[in-house]
Amino acid sequence: MDIFRIIGVGLLTCIVSTLIKVIKPEYFVVVIISGSMVILFMLIDSLSTIFSYFSILSSKAGIGYELFSTVLKVLGVGFLTEFASNICVDSGNASIGDKIILAGKVVIVCLAIPIITSLLGTITSLLP
Amino acid sequence: MDYNIILKIASIGILTAIVSQVLKNIGKDEIATFVTVAGLILCLLTVVNMISSLFDTVKQLFLIY
Repeated sequence: MDIFRIIGVGLLTCIVSTLIKVIKPEYFVVVIISGSMVILFMLIDSLSTIFSYFSILSSKAGIGYELFSTVLKVLGVGFLTEFASNICVDSGNASIGDKIILAGKVVIVCLAIPIITSLLGTITSLLP
Repeated sequence: MDYNIILKIASIGILTAIVSQVLKNIGKDEIATFVTVAGLILCLLTVVNMISSLFDTVKQLFLIY
């Protein structure tokens, strides 16, 4: 993963989006979405190496696979909501971005409920 | 995924702007709006395809079923 290509694509997207904003305002959001898409696709393979490494670590450390997959789910939800809300804020309607962030938080809390119950179970079992 | 998708969408935008301008000058206003809407739909189709492939990769990567 070379950071220079990513920075180049990001700056290219900024320039092209400001250019296209003058000529055709409707295409501003489309260019921003496609630019951020390209950057995200550049990150996918390095992310997969990181996750495979951490899954090996967690299996060696004895942490349950269920726990690790929940953490990954929470990461994915946060990743996508961040992506969508920033695009909404860039295109001018910040209220929709905030609603997406709220929805992401709700989904993350729903995902975290089984972990909390297992945590409380272990705590109560520790008490004499 | 390489970066020329951004330039392609920008070129579609500029092309539709020019074509609709020309059509407006020769008096065909309805066709100009059709060209604008068609260009926008074309760009949205490419972006929707990219979004769907992003969601598929995120599903595989983050184990979200």
